[in-house]
Amino acid sequence: MNPVLAWKLLWRDWRSGELTLLLASLIVAVSTVTTITLFVDRLQQALVRESASFLAADLVISSSAPISPLILNRAEQIGLQRAETLDFLSMVFAADRAQFASVKAVNPTYPLRGKLIVADQPFVRGRVATQGPAPGEVWLESRLLPALGLAPGDQLEVGIANLNVSQVLIKEPDRGGGFNSAGPRVLMNMQDVASTAVVQPGSRLTYRYLFAGEREALAEFSTWVKPQLDEDARLFGVKDGTERIGNALQRGERFLLLGGLLGVLLAGVAIALAAQRYSLRHYDHVAIMKTLGASPSSIDSLFLMIFLVVGLCSTLLGSVVGYLAQTGIASILAPFIPIELPSPGWRPIWLGMVTGFVCLLSFALPPLLKLRSTEPVRVIRRDLVPATLNNRLSYVAALLGTIGLMWWYSQDLWLTAMIFSGGVVAVLVLSVLAYGLLRSGRVLGMQAGSAWRLALAGMQRRGQENTLQILVFGLAIMLLLILFLVRTALIDEWRAQIPADAPNHFALNISPQDVEPIRNLLVANDIVAQPLYPMIRGRISLVNGVPAKQYDTDRENRQQEPSRDRGPNTTSGRNLTWAADLPDDNEIVEGAWWSTNYTGEPLVSLEQDLALANDLKVGDTLVFNIQGRPLATRVASIRTVAWDNLQPNFYIIFSPGALADFPSTFLTSFHLGAQQKLFLNTLIRAYPTMTVIEVDAIIEQIQLIISQVTLAIELVLALIMVAGGMVLLASIQASMDERFKQHAILRTLGASQRLVMGSLVIEFCMLGLFAGVLATVGAEVTVFALETQVFELEYQLNPSLWLLGPAVGVVLIGSIGTLATRKVVKISPTIVLRELT
Amino acid sequence: MATASRVMIKTVGLGKTVGTSEGQLTILKGINLEIKRSESVAIVGASGSGKTTLLSLLAGLDTPSVGQIFLGDEEITAFDEEQRALMRGRMVGFVFQTFQLLGSLTAIENVMLPAELKRDPEAEIKGRELLRRVGLEHRTHHYPRQLSGGEQQRVAIARAFASSAEILFADEPTGNLDSATGATIIDLIFALNEEFGTTLVLVTHDLRLADRCDRVVQIAAGELVLPDATAAQQEVAR
Repeated sequence: MNPVLAWKLLWRDWRSGELTLLLASLIVAVSTVTTITLFVDRLQQALVRESASFLAADLVISSSAPISPLILNRAEQIGLQRAETLDFLSMVFAADRAQFASVKAVNPTYPLRGKLIVADQPFVRGRVATQGPAPGEVWLESRLLPALGLAPGDQLEVGIANLNVSQVLIKEPDRGGGFNSAGPRVLMNMQDVASTAVVQPGSRLTYRYLFAGEREALAEFSTWVKPQLDEDARLFGVKDGTERIGNALQRGERFLLLGGLLGVLLAGVAIALAAQRYSLRHYDHVAIMKTLGASPSSIDSLFLMIFLVVGLCSTLLGSVVGYLAQTGIASILAPFIPIELPSPGWRPIWLGMVTGFVCLLSFALPPLLKLRSTEPVRVIRRDLVPATLNNRLSYVAALLGTIGLMWWYSQDLWLTAMIFSGGVVAVLVLSVLAYGLLRSGRVLGMQAGSAWRLALAGMQRRGQENTLQILVFGLAIMLLLILFLVRTALIDEWRAQIPADAPNHFALNISPQDVEPIRNLLVANDIVAQPLYPMIRGRISLVNGVPAKQYDTDRENRQQEPSRDRGPNTTSGRNLTWAADLPDDNEIVEGAWWSTNYTGEPLVSLEQDLALANDLKVGDTLVFNIQGRPLATRVASIRTVAWDNLQPNFYIIFSPGALADFPSTFLTSFHLGAQQKLFLNTLIRAYPTMTVIEVDAIIEQIQLIISQVTLAIELVLALIMVAGGMVLLASIQASMDERFKQHAILRTLGASQRLVMGSLVIEFCMLGLFAGVLATVGAEVTVFALETQVFELEYQLNPSLWLLGPAVGVVLIGSIGTLATRKVVKISPTIVLRELT
Repeated sequence: MATASRVMIKTVGLGKTVGTSEGQLTILKGINLEIKRSESVAIVGASGSGKTTLLSLLAGLDTPSVGQIFLGDEEITAFDEEQRALMRGRMVGFVFQTFQLLGSLTAIENVMLPAELKRDPEAEIKGRELLRRVGLEHRTHHYPRQLSGGEQQRVAIARAFASSAEILFADEPTGNLDSATGATIIDLIFALNEEFGTTLVLVTHDLRLADRCDRVVQIAAGELVLPDATAAQQEVAR
C-alpha cells in the first residue's frame, strides 16, 4: 500500500475531525496511567531514598564474619559505592568509671546515605559531619559523657587502646536499625580496631557492608550476590527495613492504579466507540477504493498504517501530557512536600505507552478489521449493511485487553479476577437498571409535550447507546460519590493507624530497678506510655525434640527454597517477652491466649508469619536457649501482629512467670510532641544506660505520604471524569449523523431552533438524571457495604447524596451533551440534506 | 483463444440467488452475454429486473451464485477478492449514479486515487490532464461538497479514465442530474470512451442515452429477453 496515500488519508481524516475523538481518548488513557505512575514512582523513589538514610545505604550485607573480597570487587565493578562498619559490644573505661557500650567502627566512606550529626557538647542539635571519626578519635553519644564523666578532649579506653573523645555524636543514620543496640554508641575509626585488641576469635561481631548506587546496578548486584552469601550473612535493602512506610504507599498505589484503570477502561470504551464510528464512516470509502482496485490486504495495511501513526502520536502526546500533569502537580505540591522528589524514571512512560497500544489493539483494532470485509458492491447497493465481522471478536479483544491491563497494573491475578468478576456483575445489574430507567422515560414520553416527546423519542430510538451512556456516567458519578463519602473514612482509617498521639519514641535497655521510677517519671510529665515489656534475647534450640538447625535444614529441603527469602527463620536470635494480657492490635488466629493469672507450665504465643514460615503449630514443643540455659515450652497460640502500629511488638511472647528466672531489661514506647522533646534529655541524663530510639521522623514521613496519596486520589478522580466525558462525546459523535438528518428534516418541516435545542437539552438532562439516580443507588449500596463490612462503622443513609448525585449528572451530562450537539441546530438544513443525497 | 482479442466480456450461464427471510430469491438466471472490445452496450430493464446486479457481477464487484464471467482472457469467477481487486484496478473504470467520490479528498485527489493505488508515479500529471479534459481545471482543489452534482459526476468520469481502464461501467450516470447537465455528462462519457477506445457497459432508464449505444440488452425478471438491439429498443419504448 502506498504510504503517501495513507498519509494523505490520515491528514484528511485529521483535518475533517474524524480522528480527533479517537486520538483524544487514547491520549486520556495514556496520560491517566502516565500521570499516576509517574507521580507514584517519584514518591516511591523519594521514599526509598529517605528511607535509605535509615540504613545509611541502599543495600546492606550483614554478617558475623568478613565476606569474600570477590563480593566487594563485584560491587565496585558494577559501580556501587561502598562502606563498611563493624559493630561489637564492649566495656569502655574513663578514669574510674566503666560503661557497657555498643561500639561501631566505620571507614571513611561511611555513611553512604543520611548524615552524621555531631556537636562539641552533649544534648544539643549539632551539625553535619561529612565522615566518621579520624584515626585515634572516638565520638560518643551524648548520654555516655555524663555517664562516664567525660568532656570532649578527654581520653576513652576501648580495649587496650586510648582514644581521644573529639566530638559528641548527636545522630547517626542507621542507629534506629533495630532493637539490638544494647548500649550507648561509641563511634570509632576502622583503622583503630586492631589496636584495641578487642576483636578476638570468638568475639560477637557484626560486619556490615553498605552499598549505594543506581536502582539497576543495585538490582543486578542484589540478584548476583544472594546465592554467594553464607548462611550466616543477610542481605537487606530499604524495602525490608521500611515495611511500615511501604504499606501506606502500597495501599495508595494499588487504589490509584485501579482507579486509573477505571479511567483507562472508560477511555477504552470511548476508543471503541470512536473507532466504530471511524470504521462506519469509512465503509463507503473502502468500498470505493475496492472498486478502484484496492485489495483487502492493501486496505488492511492502509488502515493499520494510519492507526500505527495515530497510536504513536497519541502515546507520545499522552506521555507528554502525563509528564506535564505530574510535573504540575509536583510543583503545586512542592511547598507541602518537605522531601525533594527525584526525577521520574522511564518505567511510567513505558507503562503509559504500552497502555496506549494495548487500548488501540483491543478497543480500536476489531472495528478497524471490519473494514477489510466491506463489499465493493456497496457502492451500487447502499442497502448492503457492512459485512458484520463477528462482533464477538470486539468483545473478546476488549475483555482480554482489560484483563491484561488489570493484571499488569495490579500484578495480582486473584485481585484481577475479583475486581473483574465484581465489575461484570455490577455492569450487568446497572445495565438492567439503566434500561429500566429508559423504559420509564418512554411511559413519561407518551404524555409529554412536543419538545419532551421529541427528546424522549430520541432516547428510545438510541436505546442501546443511551443505556451505555447512563451506565458509563452512572459508574463515573458513582465512583465520585463513593470517594466523596469514603474518602474521609479512608483517610481517617489510615490516620487512625498512626494517630496523632502514636508512640514516636522507643525506650529500651531499661534495667528492672529503673522500671518503676521511669514509669513514674513519664506519668509526672504527662507522657502516655505503653506498658513496659520485659525483653530478653534468646533463640529456639529444639523443635519437637529436633535441633533447630537441623529442623531448619529439613524444612528448607522440603520447601526447596532458602529460608532467608521466606521470612523469619527458626534459628535466629529473637527478642523475647512475657505478657499476661494479649497486647493491643494482636489477634489470636489459632489456639488460645492464657488467663491473666496463669501460673502453669511455660507457654508461648507465636506470630503468624514466624509460625507459617517455620511450620510451627499449636501444641509443638519448643526448647529455647536463653542466656545459655534451656527453657522448654509449648506453643499455646498463634497470633497476628499489627507491625505498623509503632508499639513494641514481639514474634514470641511467653506466659507470665515463664521468664522469671532470667534477668531481663525492659522496653516501652511513648509519644512526645515537638515541644516535649527536651524531656528526652532529662530522661537520658537520669537513666544513661537506657537507649532511646526516635521514630518521629518516620511517622512524619508516613503522614506526609498519606496526604500525598489523598491528593493523588483526587487527581485520579478528575481523570476518571475526563475519561467519562470522552465516552459521552464519543457516543454523541456516533449519533451525530442521525441527529443531523433528523433535525434537518424537522427544521425543514418548520420546527423552530428552540424546539430542536430544547429537545436536545431535555434529552441530555434526562440522561444525566438517570445516570445520577443510578449512581446514587450504586453509591449507597457500595458505601453501605464498605462502612459496615470494611470500616465497621454505623451506616447512615446520606440524604444529601440523593440531591448531589442526580444534580451532578444533570449538570455534567446536560452541559457536555448540549454543547457537543449544538452544531445540529446551527448548521443549515440545506447543507445537511444536500450532503445526505 | 481465437475470440480473445475481439470479445471483452463474456458470461456463461450466469445466475445470482440470495437468501431472504422468505426463502431463496433468484435475481439473475441463465445470462449468456458477449460484449466486444470497444463496443458500447446499454443494459435496460424495469426497476428490480436485475440490471444493476448484472453490472456489479460483470465488474467483479459481486460474485455470482452460478456461471462464469470472462473479462478479456481471464475468468474472474475463478478469482478471490484479492485477485478481483487487482483486476478492477487494472481493467475497470466506474461511473455511478451517486458519484461515489471520497468526501475527504479534493477533486484532483479523487481523480488520482486509482493511479495512486497502483503506485503510478505520474498519478498527479494524469489527474490534472483528465480534470482539464472534463473542464474542471479551475476546481482542482475543491472538495466534493463544494461542487455541483454535474461537476461531481465529471470528477467521477475523470477518475474512471484515470486508471487507463479497458472497460467502463456506468450505473445510471445521469440519474441524479437534470436533463441539461445529464446530456453534457453523456456527451463527455461518449467522447472519452471513443478517445480511449474503452468498452462501455451502461445501465440506464434513459432511452435517449441507451439509443446512443452500439447495442441495447434488455433484462426482465432476471433474464435477458431480447438480445436484438432493435427489438430491445422497441420493448423499452413500449
